[in-house]
Amino acid sequence: MTHERVYAGIRQGATILVTLFGLLVLTFCIGRLMPVDPVRAIIGEEADAATYRMVAERLGMDRPVYEQFLRYLGDILTGNFGVSIRTGQSVINDIAHVMPATIELATFAIICGAGLGIPLGILAAVRRNRLTDHVIRVVTLLGHSMPIFWIGMIGLIVFYATLGLVGGGGRMSDYNIGLAPETTGFLLIDAALAGDWEVFHDAVNHLVLPASILGYSSMAYITRMTRSFMLDQLNQEYVVTARVKGLSNSRTIWYHAFANIRVQLVTIVALAYGSLLEGAVLIETVFSWPGFGQYMTNNMLVGDMNAVMTCVLIVGIIFICLNLLSDVLYKVFDPRTR
Amino acid sequence: MNVLTKAVAAAMLGTIPFATLALAETPPNQLVVGFSMSNILTLDPAAITGKETVQVLANIYEGLVSLDPVNRSQANPQLAESWAISEDSKSITFKMRSGAKFASGNPVTAEDVVWSFKRLMKLNLAQASFLKTHGFSAANADASFAAPDPSTVVITLPKKVDPQIIVLTLGIVGPGSVLDSKTVMANEANGDMGGAWLTTHSAGSGPFVLQEWKSNERVLLSRNDNHWGKEAAMRRIIMRHLPESQSQRLMLEKGDIDVAFSMSAADLTALQSNKDVVVQTIGGSGFYYLAVSMKDEKFNKPKVREALRYLIDYEGLNATVLPFFGKPHDRPIQTGLLGALPDAGYKLNVEKAKALLAEAGYPEGFSTTLRALSDAPFLNLATAIQASLAQGGIKAEVITGSGDQIYGAMRERKFELLVGRGGGGQLPHPDSNLRAIAYNPNNADDAKLTNFQGWRTSFYDEKLNKMIDDALIETDTKRQVTRYGEIQTYYADMVPSIQPFSEVVDSVASRADVKGLALNPSWSTDLSTITKAR
Repeated sequence: MTHERVYAGIRQGATILVTLFGLLVLTFCIGRLMPVDPVRAIIGEEADAATYRMVAERLGMDRPVYEQFLRYLGDILTGNFGVSIRTGQSVINDIAHVMPATIELATFAIICGAGLGIPLGILAAVRRNRLTDHVIRVVTLLGHSMPIFWIGMIGLIVFYATLGLVGGGGRMSDYNIGLAPETTGFLLIDAALAGDWEVFHDAVNHLVLPASILGYSSMAYITRMTRSFMLDQLNQEYVVTARVKGLSNSRTIWYHAFANIRVQLVTIVALAYGSLLEGAVLIETVFSWPGFGQYMTNNMLVGDMNAVMTCVLIVGIIFICLNLLSDVLYKVFDPRTR
Repeated sequence: MNVLTKAVAAAMLGTIPFATLALAETPPNQLVVGFSMSNILTLDPAAITGKETVQVLANIYEGLVSLDPVNRSQANPQLAESWAISEDSKSITFKMRSGAKFASGNPVTAEDVVWSFKRLMKLNLAQASFLKTHGFSAANADASFAAPDPSTVVITLPKKVDPQIIVLTLGIVGPGSVLDSKTVMANEANGDMGGAWLTTHSAGSGPFVLQEWKSNERVLLSRNDNHWGKEAAMRRIIMRHLPESQSQRLMLEKGDIDVAFSMSAADLTALQSNKDVVVQTIGGSGFYYLAVSMKDEKFNKPKVREALRYLIDYEGLNATVLPFFGKPHDRPIQTGLLGALPDAGYKLNVEKAKALLAEAGYPEGFSTTLRALSDAPFLNLATAIQASLAQGGIKAEVITGSGDQIYGAMRERKFELLVGRGGGGQLPHPDSNLRAIAYNPNNADDAKLTNFQGWRTSFYDEKLNKMIDDALIETDTKRQVTRYGEIQTYYADMVPSIQPFSEVVDSVASRADVKGLALNPSWSTDLSTITKAR
């Protein structure tokens, strides 16, 4: 039994390594095929051939592609992720700086998304094919099908420009920049630690709109999944039995049916959170939000491969961790899978 | 069901944000500026590319001279109080201003100036091109730049050129920027002459000092209390990365930013009716043009190129696609520069173009490709030109892409037609335009002279090269003006590979209570003169 477990562990570890390696190879190839030239980005449109050669040599771009890749792998294995062309900083420092902004955004969004999505999904399932269900389905269909950058723009025009209820682009108003010391990089936490409630309030004011819009789109997904999980359970025999035994409706739903879909819900919320961490590109652009999504896009546009590869690795690792987490949770909550 | 309904209601209430009316006014002693900073890769004056970085550094570094915002061909004293050109036009001697200090408190000496220029040539990055064009190189830098005493700089010209062009070049942010050599060298790593450190730090003598740069997020400048000139009214300048024109417009209308540098024509048009906002337009650098590759047998025929000249709707493009971006101009020297002639006055003339095409052997027209960047205004220009070419029977398929794809193809000399922007002009001297757009000293494929649009379009004319070289070394200004006139006439008669239809202008929008914003061409506006009427 223990042997089997050890083997399973090794198998899983090997799978993860192969996945990450494949991811790196694929990203590197795509990066090389993309019509962007980092050397040109550095030297500009007007530089001559001698300057081009000099910079290409300095970046190692004059070596054969396989050699560049091997060198890159060697660096990674020694923990050196290189320096970003676009910022001149080490890639790890850059990412450490942009990640908190995205985590702040994604966390708030998932709280909105799951906090609304799960109850709505259950409600829709319980009131299946009645007016409530239809309304909820229309709302989630809209959230799923409207382009997020468009909702973002409309949101800015309505809530910021017209009503003046929330702040505009960025994480805070410009005149508050640099007032609260950056201890964690999480603006809300930093402002709270510094006891600067004005900055805190300003940061909330800027976070609300992009996070709600992101939350709305993840809410759409969570609601639809919750509804279908719940419908599955409500059609099971034990629910019918429970009702026949005279259990109240809400007790049946919450204590029996809901308890059985908890694990599935944790999984989809975790996956939704993962995709928010890397998929907030459009919203980050519309709201000039200096986060991970924007960092990755901007680096792709200039062919800053060190930064792009590290970003892809991080996204890969996030998803692998989330998958592992949901595996573990299944084992914990569902004895049948042990 | 009650419980469930309550749960949903509670969840909804819990996620409704607590928001109050946002305060939307920038503080009176801080200036907030918005533009797209995607192209800012470094703040080292020797390595920068692109006008956005120039706009940042123009407020941090100074040169021996500065370029006048109104009269573009005039250099004003800055760190140099005066300068004199030798009798034989082979050297320029600058007398330094006394009492100027860097932000660090170190005095600005002639040594710093010479060190900065040598560093520029030795690093040999983007900004070295300006001086390399005139014969300066890493090899001759030691011989070219000298400081006989702490207040004198002598520049010896490596080859015969108009000394005035060198003076003007030293007024450009980048090649002309003077660095604090002691501070930079204290932060040198691996013999990089401070390159890595200067990416994110500053060592200048300008009215502001770099407090922080966060790539694609913001640049913070704070007032330099050691500055020798008039103290800036603004304590801080906050430059925000706002990639979307629409967000710049919204924030400007709300008063969250004071100045917006990179907005689309549509948004600028919409702002014109807003009395709280002022839009200013100023000459930029270079042209919008239609280029052909002379490697292509069709475009190698002068008649075909002439036909193309009559298939551009000059008025239409400038009136519909280029408001705020360009103004009508069809000559290779920008308006306001030495010797610039008034327009030749080309017009769309389909009949004439058809006749020319028939003479060239294409009575039915032909098919070709037209390349353009996929962003504004290039895509719209390409679509409009595609339509006017079609009237003459030329079916052009539009190919769009990124800078690397479009200009990359041009650098490889593998294209047919291209709508582009360029042609020098950051240096306010006609030579800068002509060298970028028409000059080509060597037309061989392996010469790889990608910095000359002439080479990129495989356009080679020995007589024109000589005319350009001769005009530059003409010491008598009157005769020089005549020579530049002759060059433009010759250029028009020979129908070259690049036909400008508009010259670049830049448009900047600001809040009406922002005073003293004197725009400088080429994005080198000094923000220290700004005050707020509040």
